[in-house]
Amino acid sequence: MIEGVWLWIAFLLLAATTLLTRGSFIVIGERGQLPAVILRALRYAPAAALSALVMPDLLLAQGEVDPFNPRLFAGLAVIAVALRWRNPWLPFIIGMGVLWAVQYLLPGP
Amino acid sequence: MALNPAFRSGAAAGLRAFVPVSVGFIPWAIVTGIAMRSSGLDAPESIGMSLLVYAATAQLGALPLIASGAPLWLIFVTGMVLNLRFVIFSAAIAPSLREQSLPRRIVGGFLLTDNAFAVLGPRLAETRDPVWRWGYYIAPSLYGWTLWQGGVLVGVFGAGFVPADWSLEFMGTIALMAMVVPMVRSRPMLLAALVGGLGAVLLRGLPLRLGLFVAILLGIVAGFLAERWNEKRAAP
Repeated sequence: MIEGVWLWIAFLLLAATTLLTRGSFIVIGERGQLPAVILRALRYAPAAALSALVMPDLLLAQGEVDPFNPRLFAGLAVIAVALRWRNPWLPFIIGMGVLWAVQYLLPGP
Repeated sequence: MALNPAFRSGAAAGLRAFVPVSVGFIPWAIVTGIAMRSSGLDAPESIGMSLLVYAATAQLGALPLIASGAPLWLIFVTGMVLNLRFVIFSAAIAPSLREQSLPRRIVGGFLLTDNAFAVLGPRLAETRDPVWRWGYYIAPSLYGWTLWQGGVLVGVFGAGFVPADWSLEFMGTIALMAMVVPMVRSRPMLLAALVGGLGAVLLRGLPLRLGLFVAILLGIVAGFLAERWNEKRAAP
């Protein structure tokens, strides 16, 4: 365990990573314009990044692909709801509802 | 400054777009608060970490390293890798904030989140007035920061009271899904999402969670190439 002053130095280093990455191009500002072709490609960044954060959580259980994962059923329900309705609360209600129902019906080991 | 009508109208529009999505923050913030306490930090340390770092994935990723007494350089490198996707988001948002002063850009940069980028990015890019844009970006970002710190406080002081089998952290995943589904309106966008998502699953074995970064890059390249290919086919 890192303790005392060293712990706070670790926090400051992590804070630096937050500023260096999130700040990067915003802080550089005027001098750091990216070429148009890169900016066009970056339009695909949100979908790719969000999906990269979501899919491992839906497909993996304890680090292995598990097609009978309750989170996968809940995720498919959320996608169906989000495709059909624009209500912002519905995905949470349906998603958590399906998750709890499947967890109850398919008890783990 | 804050009374400028363009700023206020931008701030109101930004909050209207952002508030519904922000419910997804709350469980993540609470879970992060609980995780900090359960890995051995006391309450002031946990709160200090959240105020300084303000990054769920970097905070959660660094905790095992802190708990095991890893070297500081490894904690720094891990934080960089877990935050690396924000370099891409920062580049995409930067043109919309370029008229602002340096202190504002530093604050704006620090407050950039996945959710803010996904929800606010499109309208920022197509609006001309820099004052409106600043309001549209900074008001939801400050609100998101406040909500996040509030959720962390609940987690820090409530650690031990919420049963783990409620799976509340899944609400964070639901929030991300609710954002990505309306984005996927074209085939190249669908391809970008599929390659990014399946790539992250298949490359999960790479060290330091580099797989996440590589998968995002592959998704971007796949979407972009599909767009170019579509255009070539459409042209005579």
